[in-house]
Amino acid sequence: MPGLSFDNYQRNHFLTTRGYGQPTATSTGTTIVGCKFKGGVVIAADTRATAGPIVADKNCEKLHRLAPKIWCAGAGTAADTEMVTQLIASNLELHSLHQNSQPRVITALTMLKQHLFKYQGHLGAYLIVAGVDPTGAHLLSVQAHGSTDIGQYQSLGSGSLAAMAVLESHWVPDMSKEDAMKLCADAIESGIWNDLGSGSNVDLCVMEVGKDAELYRNHLTPNVRSEKARSYKFARGTTAVLRESIRDILDVEETVITFGSASVDAMEVDA
Amino acid sequence: MSDPSSINGGTAVAMVGKDCIAIASDLRLGNQSLGLANNFEKVFQFGDKTFMALTGLASDVITLKETFRLKNNLYNLREEREIEPQTLANLVSSTLYEKRFGPYFIGPIVAGLDSKTSKPFICGFDLIGCIDFAKDFIVSGTATDQLYGMCESLYEPNLEPEDLFETISQALLNAVDRDALSGWGAVVYIVTKDKVVKRTLRTRQD
Amino acid sequence: MNGISVDINHLKKGEVNLGTSIMAVKFKDGVILGADSRTTTGSYIANRVTDKLTQIHDTIYCCRSGSAADTQAVADMVKYYLQMYASQLPFDEKPQTKIAANIFQEICYNNKDNLTAGIICAGYDKVNKGTVYSIPIGGSIHQQEYAIAGSGSTFVYGWCNENFKPEMEREECVDFIKTALAEAIKWDGSSGGVIRMVVLTEAGVERLVYYPEDYQK
Repeated sequence: MPGLSFDNYQRNHFLTTRGYGQPTATSTGTTIVGCKFKGGVVIAADTRATAGPIVADKNCEKLHRLAPKIWCAGAGTAADTEMVTQLIASNLELHSLHQNSQPRVITALTMLKQHLFKYQGHLGAYLIVAGVDPTGAHLLSVQAHGSTDIGQYQSLGSGSLAAMAVLESHWVPDMSKEDAMKLCADAIESGIWNDLGSGSNVDLCVMEVGKDAELYRNHLTPNVRSEKARSYKFARGTTAVLRESIRDILDVEETVITFGSASVDAMEVDA
Repeated sequence: MSDPSSINGGTAVAMVGKDCIAIASDLRLGNQSLGLANNFEKVFQFGDKTFMALTGLASDVITLKETFRLKNNLYNLREEREIEPQTLANLVSSTLYEKRFGPYFIGPIVAGLDSKTSKPFICGFDLIGCIDFAKDFIVSGTATDQLYGMCESLYEPNLEPEDLFETISQALLNAVDRDALSGWGAVVYIVTKDKVVKRTLRTRQD
Repeated sequence: MNGISVDINHLKKGEVNLGTSIMAVKFKDGVILGADSRTTTGSYIANRVTDKLTQIHDTIYCCRSGSAADTQAVADMVKYYLQMYASQLPFDEKPQTKIAANIFQEICYNNKDNLTAGIICAGYDKVNKGTVYSIPIGGSIHQQEYAIAGSGSTFVYGWCNENFKPEMEREECVDFIKTALAEAIKWDGSSGGVIRMVVLTEAGVERLVYYPEDYQK
């Protein structure tokens, strides 16, 4: 990526040699899946983000838009999946403007794999790329090192084993859109329940040939937090305050007064 | 405790209330277990209703505070307006990701109200700039674990500014009391449409 | 690393591996390439229907073994260079297999410190008919009557040596590859799935797939 700076690298490396470890970045210890159906493709993801053993975000978005009809689901280092996706989305738009045609899934995939290969696996992005373009519906995946796979159904992330178990047992050729959506949602749910790195809700995106892509944010919410039995509001004044300063923010209103025609006449000096 | 972001200690938290936000931090600066200062504020203002808290390695906290002050000033000059919280969040994200392979050891929080709509906005980041958009609260720093526990139990949506102040204060105070590296005083900012209230809290001094 | 004792078996952590059984065999009308379809990450089968037979030109293919990322990247590069080369040829002429094989060799040799790629390049061209080149890790090149490679190949070196015949008939050659790969798959844990083949002759390209129930005795 142009503009990456290694200014702190030596310092951080020195800190490492002095026995200081690396802090944990947010990772999407994730379940993501994709599945083709007759006339389209669907991808799905869970919504849990983790930092080590801590759940950092209970409802994060792992479905990224590369182009209006090309979406991808990301697993691995959260910042990498987000940034690599944004970069490729930008380049893909420039490319499609330059070519004066709809962006293709294979183009997105090639840009991703060449970028990730260049970084030799140091960018921890594992993506399922799917979409529709003038050549039809496509489902592909890329791994951090830059290798790609094609398939009728795919799963990636820490919950990929749980999801793949569902896909392998229930997938059939030429499914309907509804069946594919159900299969993907079930596969993600399997990850949510059986994988510790995955949890919360199911996000889903359907891309059908000849139609706009549809994003189903929180398609399933099997982990709604129950209403608290009682309120833990504190009485006002509970907290002891040493000092207080208040800064009032005033809206400045500006009124323009226009004069009547009489004054306009008065202005005309050479009348 | 042997990672750079927990050498100096320090903790911050932000919460969303009804048409308001609150952002708070402790005041401790230490070197491992030795306390050095009790006036190290970790919340910084960028515009009338836009705030950022920075926890982690103190040298990086100061470096980034100054970096963002510079970037914010340039933004103000170029755009002739104040930066929105959303915009600041994306600025923070890209600034941190620029250092993907040699990161700053910090955990920033951005909180504020949109200048036009007055809609509350809060978000947190990991050290390489992954944004965590939250509707309720964001925590950061050495008392992160404790704060998650406090906030998950104390927080409720749509609190009035005064009630939000009590909730965020109690969450922070009780969390830092169980963290050896945080404490030594605390500040809370409550931001509403027409005023910003800053309160310094009375806390334990051990 | 001192350049003499080079660690050739390094795979970056978590890297997708083509622990593979691949081969290519010359026969009377051209050449046939064969491969299993398993890709692994550690002990997990990341893909059980992989296509390790990659097209480089109309009737030039390669079998990939080693790191999936590395071999795909190298194959993409060769494909690109060969397109550039082919566009400069007179109309109706196609690149010879040896050109492709030598581009593979060049890339594999120049980047040998960073690549884990064992490649068999085989193809049919009008001048040389069927040809097989092996480009193992390190970037050397060997023209052979037949080539086997990948982790599963160790189990069938003897069998292939004993049973290979020059100028086989098509069906005989398919059987030769099928039997060899079936045996390689049987004994090698990192190989499995279906057996894919590509037949390259004057007539063009023909793809074959054999499922476990077809090749397991």
